[in-house]
Amino acid sequence: MKMVLSQNASAIRPLNLYPWVYISLVFGASLALPDKACTFKVALQNFQTIFSWELKNHSIVPTHYTLWYTIMSKYEDMKIVEDCTNITRLFCDLTGLWDNMPETYIPRVVGFKGNTVLVSCIDSVFLPMNMTLEPPDFEIVGSADHINVIVKFPSRAPKTIDVERLQHHFYLIIEQRSEEMVKKHKPRINGNITGDFIYVMDKLIPNTNYCVSIYFEPKNLGTITKSPLKCALLPGQEPESSESAKIGGIITAFLIATVFISSVVTLKRTGYLCLRLDLPSALNFSNRPTRIFLELPPLEAVDTVEVIYVSRKKKVWDYNYDESDSEEEATPTTSAGGYTRHGLILQPLTQASTSSPDSEESQFTDPDVDEPDLPEDEAEPLLVPGPRAEQSEPASGPCERRASPLQDPFSKKDSSATEGSEDRIIFNVNLNSVFVQALDDDGDVSPMLPEETVDLEDPSEMESSFLIAREDGMPPPFPSPSEECLGSEDASSEESDTSESDADIRDGYIMR
Amino acid sequence: MTTGCILQIALLLCFSITALSRSFNLLQFQQRSTNLECQRLMMKLSGTPESCLNNRTNFEVPKEIEQPRQFQKEDAVLVIHDMLLQIFEIFGKNLSHTGWNETIIENLRSELSDQIDRLKAILDENTEEENPTWENSTTMLWHLRNYYTRIVQYLNAKSYSSCAWTVVWTEIYRNFSFISTLTDYLQN
Repeated sequence: MKMVLSQNASAIRPLNLYPWVYISLVFGASLALPDKACTFKVALQNFQTIFSWELKNHSIVPTHYTLWYTIMSKYEDMKIVEDCTNITRLFCDLTGLWDNMPETYIPRVVGFKGNTVLVSCIDSVFLPMNMTLEPPDFEIVGSADHINVIVKFPSRAPKTIDVERLQHHFYLIIEQRSEEMVKKHKPRINGNITGDFIYVMDKLIPNTNYCVSIYFEPKNLGTITKSPLKCALLPGQEPESSESAKIGGIITAFLIATVFISSVVTLKRTGYLCLRLDLPSALNFSNRPTRIFLELPPLEAVDTVEVIYVSRKKKVWDYNYDESDSEEEATPTTSAGGYTRHGLILQPLTQASTSSPDSEESQFTDPDVDEPDLPEDEAEPLLVPGPRAEQSEPASGPCERRASPLQDPFSKKDSSATEGSEDRIIFNVNLNSVFVQALDDDGDVSPMLPEETVDLEDPSEMESSFLIAREDGMPPPFPSPSEECLGSEDASSEESDTSESDADIRDGYIMR
Repeated sequence: MTTGCILQIALLLCFSITALSRSFNLLQFQQRSTNLECQRLMMKLSGTPESCLNNRTNFEVPKEIEQPRQFQKEDAVLVIHDMLLQIFEIFGKNLSHTGWNETIIENLRSELSDQIDRLKAILDENTEEENPTWENSTTMLWHLRNYYTRIVQYLNAKSYSSCAWTVVWTEIYRNFSFISTLTDYLQN
C-alpha cells in the first residue's frame, strides 16, 4: 500500500477542524504528497471487513482518529464513516460499506491530539488484492466415520453477510489432513448466513486421527491465511459396522462379477470376443485318464525258451547239387556259399527259470538228448545265428555280452559244453538277433525276421563283410563290439534293404 | 451387427462428451492462470490512484457483468473473449505518458493474446450449435462494447495523460475481477 502523510497539523480550533480536513482530502490528492507515514490493512475477519492502520512514526501519538473514504470507480466526494469518527482504536469495521469486492477504495485516516491534526494518511486499497482473508472460527465434532465442521459466523452481525456475493471472489476451503493425505473441501454456501454453518465430512476411516483447517482461497491475487489445525481421533468401528462392511464387500464382489460376466457376454455377442465350446477331438481329454501319460512305454517282450540242439546239420543252400545229404550231415561246417542251419528244438523253460526279468537270452540245449528222433523237417533248425544280427540294442551292455556267448554254435559243438553232455549244449541267445522257425503241427514255417543292424558309417567294412561271407560260405565273423555299438536304427533299416538283395529266402528262412 | 453398431456409437458419444467436458475444464484452468498472470503484470505498473481523484469518472460497467446471474458456459466464453480482446486493444493505445515498462505491457498483451486464441478455438467449435441464449449474449456484448468505447473515449478526451491511464488502470483491474467471476461458469 502506498501511504500519504500529511503532517500539516497545527493548532486549529475544533470548530474549524473538519472543514479543513475535508478541503485537505479533496485537494490533497493533487498536491505533492510527503512520504508515507501509515500502514493500512484490510482484512475479512469472520466475514466482517476490518480496516486497520498503524503509524510508522511512533513518536506521533494521536489521541483519536477519524476515517474518511471514497472510491475510484466514479467521482464521489470523501465520505466520513460515522462509526469511525473520533475513535481511539486503530481499526474500523467497514462491513456493509466496503462490500464491493472489485472496487478500489481510497481511505484517509486523520489523527488528532485534542483538536490538533497530528497526522493524515491516504492510500488506495484494492480489495481483491489487498484484503487479507482471515479464516473464520470453527469447531469440529468427530463421530464414527464423519466429522462435523461448525463454521462460526458472527452472532451479532450488524448487517447480514452476503456470503454468496463474497464467494464470487474467494472460496471457503475446509482442508482435511490425515497423516500424509490432504483433501480439500469447497462447500458452497447459498444465501445469507447469520448463524453457524455446519459442514459434514463423511466417509472417514474410523480409529484415525483427522486434522481440519479452514481458510479462504482468493480467486484473484491475494494471500492465504490458514487457521490452526484442530484434530479429532475418530472412535473405533463397532462390530456391526464390520458386518455391514462384509455385506457391502459381498455385494460389491457380486456386482463386479455381474458386470464382468455381462461384459464378456456382450463382447461375445457383438463379435469382439470369440469363445469356442466345441473343442477339436484332439484336445478333448475328458474321456482319457490322466495316468495314461504316466505309463512307461511297454518293454520289448522277451520270452525265455529252451533250445535243444540237434546234432544233425543240414545244408540249407548250396550251389553244389551233387553232394549227398549224408555228406552234409557228416560235415557240420557248411560249404562255401551256403548257410548251415542248426536244428533246435524250443522248449519252454520252467516257470522258475523264466522269472528273471533281466533275462534276455535263451538257453540252447542239444536236441539229441531230449528228442533225438525228431524228423528232419521237424528238427529243422530254428536258429541261424546271424553274424550281425545281435545289434538290435544299441546299449553298450548288451553289446558287451554278445561278444562272448553268441559264438557260432559249431565252434562249441566239438568243445565241451558249458552245461550237460557233448550232444547237448545250453547257451543263451537273444531272440532278436536270430531267425526262429516255429515248429507247427502242420509243418508250416513262419519265419521271424530279426532286426539287423550294421555299421553304416563304414560302408567298406560292411561290404567286405559280405564278401567274406560269400567266399567262405560261412557267415562273416562278428564285428567287434565297438563296431556293433555304432549302429543306428536308420542304418539297420538301410542294411536290411541291402541285405535282402543278397539274401535268399527259402522255406521261410532268410539266408545272408 | 446392429448391436455392434449401437455399441460403437455409444462409445463414440461417450468419448466425445468426455473430451468436450475436459476441454471446458482445461479452458477454465487456463483462464484462471491468465487472470492471475495479468493481475500480477498489472501490479508491476506503477500507479497512485489516490493522486488522481479528480480524474475519476464512471465508465458504467454493464450490470450483467458486474453482478452476473446464471451464465451459460458458452456465453461466458463469448463474454470473456470479448473482454480480453477489448483490453488487449486498449493496452495497444498511446502509453507514452505513463512511464510504464514496455516489456511488461508486451508480456501483458502476449498473455492476453494467447488466451484469446484459446477462447476463439472453443467459440469456433460451438458456432454450429444453436445457443438458446444467443440473443441475450448479443445484447450483453453490445453493452460491453459501449463500455469499452467509453473507456477509449475517456483516454482520448484526457489525451492519454498519466492520470487518465491510472484511472483506466484501476478500471481494467476491476475487469479482471469480473472475469474471475465469469470463469466460474466455465465449469461443467
